[in-house]
Amino acid sequence: MKEAKKPIRQALRQIPLLVIMAGTIALSVNYWRETPLPLIGDWSATARLTGQDGESLAIPLNEAKLLFQEKAAIFLDARPQLQYSDGHISGALSLPWQDVTNAFTDIATQLDGNDNIIAYCDGESCELSHDLALFLKDMGFINVRVLINGWTVWQDAGLPTEKAGEANEK
Amino acid sequence: MKNDPGISKTETEGVAARRCDWPRWLYHIFRLLLGLVFVYASYDKILHPQAFALAVYNYQIMPDAAVNITALLLPWLELLLGLCLLFGLWLPGATVTSTGLLVVFLGALVFNQIRGLDIHCGCFSTEITEGPAGPWTVLRDLGFLAVSLYLLLYIFLLQRQSGRLPRSKSDQ
Repeated sequence: MKEAKKPIRQALRQIPLLVIMAGTIALSVNYWRETPLPLIGDWSATARLTGQDGESLAIPLNEAKLLFQEKAAIFLDARPQLQYSDGHISGALSLPWQDVTNAFTDIATQLDGNDNIIAYCDGESCELSHDLALFLKDMGFINVRVLINGWTVWQDAGLPTEKAGEANEK
Repeated sequence: MKNDPGISKTETEGVAARRCDWPRWLYHIFRLLLGLVFVYASYDKILHPQAFALAVYNYQIMPDAAVNITALLLPWLELLLGLCLLFGLWLPGATVTSTGLLVVFLGALVFNQIRGLDIHCGCFSTEITEGPAGPWTVLRDLGFLAVSLYLLLYIFLLQRQSGRLPRSKSDQ
């Protein structure tokens, strides 16, 4: 009976030791690293959209609203086509991230390299618009921004929206 | 297992010993296999903590404040576990931890499959090219879990029995 408990007792001693050892090594290596990872990271949407150059892709709602009113920006909806059809920011073009290569060639003629482009999707943690913005930057578009949680904040602010097939409410 | 009258006693003992040996061989093969898997899995994550932290974040399971700590600690724990398994050290602790980790990984994968979150596994590489986690990732993890469970059972149950075997033989 005494023998039966032996591996259990060994395990109970070894598990915390393994975790402590891993933790000690991890923290020391991280400390001596050239660019240490902060122990508590800022994973807010704005921080995630900030590049290494410190420049943020995120655009505040009031700035987006201003560009919208001046008709100085093209809004791109990164959500799937179906959600776009159910409702989107007035005048926004659909560019679903899932099918980005096809969708992009469809609307490429309507975009110019110098246009202000605002990509959006829905939800604080939605990555679609972020991925789309990075893709567009790679394609040579300079003024690309992301409106975080765009569809929700736009509606909450009572700004113009439209559905597929509906007349433009602008 | 009664002695066949047609076979001599030493022969039966030899066959029995060989038969009894397969769990031990399987144990050694599995131990080395899982050890290699863990060491291999830790390597890229240790080199790219930032990318691995993003993978952890994308699972949307850990609270934001715990993401970086997890991303720093987990790869080193995997490396230590892998080394313990490879060199046969601290096996009771290592097999319990590896089984526990694999259960957590599997749970996280299945949870995100069910809620339809398109995540990258981040299991072996922090590169996005690995593609989103799918049913195959779950099956692969199930396989590793089965291997780990075998090792766990071997360490806690079989090894003790096989450890007694020579003694009981000499008692005869």
